[in-house]
Amino acid sequence: MLGGAAVLTLLVLVLLAMAFGPPRKVAARRWTHGLGLGLSLPVLGVMLAAGLWVGERVLPRDDGALKIEVHAVQWYWEFTAPGSDGPVMTRDRLILPAGEPVDLVITSEDVIHSFWVPQLGGKMDAIPGRTNRLRLQADAPGVLVGQCAEFCGLGHAVMRFEVEVVDPDDWEDALRATADNGEAEDD
Amino acid sequence: MTDSTAQGLTGTREDAQDEPLTIAANPPQRALGLHRELTKAWANDSGWWGQVTAVNHTTLGLRFMGTALVFFLIGGVLSMLIRAQLATHDGAFLDTELYNQIFTMHGSIMMFLFAIPMLEGLSIYLLPKLLGTRDMAFPRLTALGYWCYLFGGLIMLTALLFGVAPRDGWFMYTPLSSAAHSPGINADVWLLGVTFVEISALAAAVEITVTILRQRAPGMKLTEMPLFAWYILGTSVMMLVGFPPLILASVLLEIERAFGWPFFDVARGGDPLLWQHLFWLFGHPEVYIIFLPAAGVLSTLIPVLCRTQIVGYGAIVASILALVFLSFGLWVHHMFTVGIPHMALAFFSAASLAVAVPTVVQVFAWIGTMWQGRPELKLPMYYILGFFLTFVMGGLTGVMLAVVPFNWQAHDTAFVTAHLHYVLIGGFVFPMLAAAAWWMPQITGRERVRGLGEAAFWVILIGFHGTFFIMHLTGLLGMPRRIDVYTENPEWVWLNLTSSIFGFVMTIGFGLFVLDMALQAFMGQKQRRDPWRAPTLDWAMPLPAPAYTFASIPAPRHLDKEARDVTLPLARGEGLLPGAPRRRREFLVTSLAGARPDHVAILPGNTALPLAVSATIGAFVLLMLAGLYPLTLLPLAGVAALVWLWGRGMVRPVDEAPIPVAPGWQLPEQGLRRRTLGWSGSVCLLVANGTLFASLVFGVGFLAVVAPGWPGPEVQAAGRAALPGVVLAALMPLSGALAVRWAEAGQRRGSAGLVAAGLGLLANAVALGALAWLAAGHMDDPTQHARDALRGVLAGYVALHAFIAAGLGGFALDQTRRGEITPAHGGVLPTWRLWQDYAAVTAPIAAVLAVGLGMST
Amino acid sequence: MMWLARALLGLGIWATGFSLVYALHGTGCARGWPEVALAGGVDQHAAALWAGWLATLAAGLILLLRMPRVSAEAGLRHWLPRAGALMGVGATLFTLLPVALATSC
Ligand code: HEM
Ligand SMILES: [Cu+2]
Ligand SMILES: [Cu+2]
Repeated sequence: MLGGAAVLTLLVLVLLAMAFGPPRKVAARRWTHGLGLGLSLPVLGVMLAAGLWVGERVLPRDDGALKIEVHAVQWYWEFTAPGSDGPVMTRDRLILPAGEPVDLVITSEDVIHSFWVPQLGGKMDAIPGRTNRLRLQADAPGVLVGQCAEFCGLGHAVMRFEVEVVDPDDWEDALRATADNGEAEDD
Repeated sequence: MTDSTAQGLTGTREDAQDEPLTIAANPPQRALGLHRELTKAWANDSGWWGQVTAVNHTTLGLRFMGTALVFFLIGGVLSMLIRAQLATHDGAFLDTELYNQIFTMHGSIMMFLFAIPMLEGLSIYLLPKLLGTRDMAFPRLTALGYWCYLFGGLIMLTALLFGVAPRDGWFMYTPLSSAAHSPGINADVWLLGVTFVEISALAAAVEITVTILRQRAPGMKLTEMPLFAWYILGTSVMMLVGFPPLILASVLLEIERAFGWPFFDVARGGDPLLWQHLFWLFGHPEVYIIFLPAAGVLSTLIPVLCRTQIVGYGAIVASILALVFLSFGLWVHHMFTVGIPHMALAFFSAASLAVAVPTVVQVFAWIGTMWQGRPELKLPMYYILGFFLTFVMGGLTGVMLAVVPFNWQAHDTAFVTAHLHYVLIGGFVFPMLAAAAWWMPQITGRERVRGLGEAAFWVILIGFHGTFFIMHLTGLLGMPRRIDVYTENPEWVWLNLTSSIFGFVMTIGFGLFVLDMALQAFMGQKQRRDPWRAPTLDWAMPLPAPAYTFASIPAPRHLDKEARDVTLPLARGEGLLPGAPRRRREFLVTSLAGARPDHVAILPGNTALPLAVSATIGAFVLLMLAGLYPLTLLPLAGVAALVWLWGRGMVRPVDEAPIPVAPGWQLPEQGLRRRTLGWSGSVCLLVANGTLFASLVFGVGFLAVVAPGWPGPEVQAAGRAALPGVVLAALMPLSGALAVRWAEAGQRRGSAGLVAAGLGLLANAVALGALAWLAAGHMDDPTQHARDALRGVLAGYVALHAFIAAGLGGFALDQTRRGEITPAHGGVLPTWRLWQDYAAVTAPIAAVLAVGLGMST
Repeated sequence: MMWLARALLGLGIWATGFSLVYALHGTGCARGWPEVALAGGVDQHAAALWAGWLATLAAGLILLLRMPRVSAEAGLRHWLPRAGALMGVGATLFTLLPVALATSC
């Protein structure tokens, strides 16, 4: 997409540069219909189709994927995952199994926030009164950073969290370990 | 209304566009004599007081632009504070509270106090000159708009000085901006201040629309008028339809904050998404409202600078129409991450891509024009080239952001900040700088000082791209917008530091630009004639432009010549309606499509009334901010009284003798016409009002269908027992509409319509009484649930219109009593009829909605 | 005025149809229309959306067919109403395409 944009910008610049020569007769329709419609419509059509296709692929589906609740509060995050004996809550630290699709169920306590882990994909707002779903998949174990992307007041810049991606087999252990020191980590 | 030229806004006979219009020339007179005579009628009063009472479009257009420039500089200083804060990762310089106020004020100032007023000022200054008339349709409204803008802006600035400025971002998302999460007056300053300023936007939109449609020089057909006028017509119609959703949203949120009526509070049946819908329903069209005038400037300048004609006039007009419509179908692209179903996102993604098409058509039409001619590299052309480079890139990132998955990634990051500045600075500021270079000789009557302007251009261009280009990258790397520190991402420091340094470079550039303007204004060589050899009428006058613009109004034979060739004939009174022999301000009103002369409009002169009205509104705003709600009734009553005076100011004895316009051409004055400019203005205002009502209906539907927390609690007071009141309130305006018709029938027969006018007044008073009865005990507490709050607002809307209709009825009664209504002259009756009909249509709809809301339980 | 109205009609049809389909979509998702099966395996939501889209297209096409054909040289006055109708149909086709392509709720 960026390459395409660069090419189009260059095209316009070259056409502009050429305008500084002697006057040239080109039929008006060549400009308005030929370039105006002829160039833009195919490009935009392709972009629409591509956007729809990618968008459809990342939608959450009811396929029994792991569901983790994300609750945004001014200015921290609570994550509640289903452990084998009851839900486990972690704060400002999200534990994800690698290589599996996960549905995040996102809610807010007070104002609008937005859940975003840049390395994993798009954002999804946390809106009071609504429950939003976002499907993510982290491919390899590691630690990533996430943050609130919708301006939410004084603590917006520091409303960050960590994402720990672990091997699916270690997921529940990691979850418990984090849940324990989750409260001590109060900031 | 009987002859073919007299149908104004309702319709001109289709063929009137094709019949040739030949009007003989008036005999030449001494230009200086005409100048003296006209100046006496049109000039501002002298001294300071003269500035207070001025209503002239040249004065006010310049004042709008000057004030907007000052706000631009203030907004620019704020942006420098933001960039200074972001230059390092701990930004130890501003605290978060202040930082939030600063970026919110930067955005709000740039959008509401710079961009919109600047384009209003340009249109007000330029349109009468370009169209060949002598002033805007409603000069007192121009002045009112200016004072509202100034006072609203000053209130917001004062709040910033006292540290209580808005701090929730320029789009004020609730619940962050709600009473619970934003205590204090910060949010109220925004809601009330911006709404105050928007009065000027609506005023400008109304008068611009009327001026373009009905004041073009005779023979300047709609299909042949200068493209700038087409662009501004598109802009003003968009303003009429685009601002009401914002005004409604602001009013609702202010009511929620001040009185606790829930509209956006989920716990009580509201929905924060309603705010987002209403805001962006305004917010996206706003972007095109800003862009269209800039594009109009480009379409005006490029052909002249290339010594040729525009390529694809028709395609450009079609593009403008497409933009006007399509840009109202995109607003959800600001809401791609709120969790809306994919298909809905896709509609708006498709529409956002589609809107690029007319823009691309225009860009290529401009390039085609440059190919066809021989571009001259004068200062405005520098800025035009800067526009192309910058705007094309901004447009392309805009197209990317229209693609949903990309948007999910880039939304609310520095990428968006980069995009919006590419579009706003590329698409608005650069063309405005070109416009400044173009029209400064006309404004000052002086030549530019060589060299400095070009230097300013290069510094601004380099500064701009240095600041914002890398912000695309910063955003893609993950930096959100609206953060004051990024302590844990020191890797972004270099990018941000670079942006900040170039930001200061750009500021230096703007400093040079202002210096250049000042030098030209005070030290430039005198410039007496059009330096550009432009074909448009705005240059067909001595420089600087005189108060009355044209000593005689251009006739069809003056329209297809170069401006400098018609300057002298017009100044010598060879055009139409020369001079001011009746010692009053007059110009021609023409038909809508074919621009055939219809009547002579007579304008009110200088007055301080606009200042008084806006000062009174200002008092209302201040009392609201102070929380002294009961006291606000005083200024409201004051506004009503002043509006009455305003109306009385339009009443003058009607001159039944026709007015000579050219040899063999005589026209009646406005008092003998039904479809006056004022009538057209009311139509425009009602279009805006109808949009406001439609937005309210949308709000009712949206909350009832989509909001969580419905149905609300059991209906108590507002049950069956309330029905008589509802029926009366719904139907009485309709009886009023019958009464107006009766009054009009009487007027034509020449019998005094005292009884009819009295009955009309009574009908509206009964409606008001019924609403008061409902409010006094037959409505549920509006603070308990959105349903009841909405019912309260619907009742208030009906009450407001019953009140307005009652006022007009009273005015008619008074006019009848004074004998000012004659068989030839209907006085206020046509206007009353419009508003009464509007009330008669909206009241039953509101009643049905209110009753329906109760049944959704 | 009539002339201007005619020139705007095509885009007006688009605006009406676009709002209508968007409103149908929102209402349908809120009221569970996708779960209501109609004859032939179509659900009520899809049926409503398709009907809205096709009706808008039909209205636009009828308008277009009724506009006299004129060449671009005929002057803007004759040419613009037809261009407006064309733009309306084009916009309807493009912006409501997702009815056929995207997941509804
Ligand atoms: C003079 C040069 C300018 C500079 C250096 C500048 C810089 C900035 C910066 C740094 C931000 C904050 C981004 C963030 O919060 O992360 C911003 C926001 C913004 N700017 Fe500018 N800006 C300039 C001119 C303009 C102009 C001319 C306009 C409009 C006509 C404009 C409209 C906005 C808006 C709407 C925002 C968003 C405010 C918000 O987030 O609430 N800016 N600008
Ligand atoms: Cu947050
Ligand atoms: Cu937008």
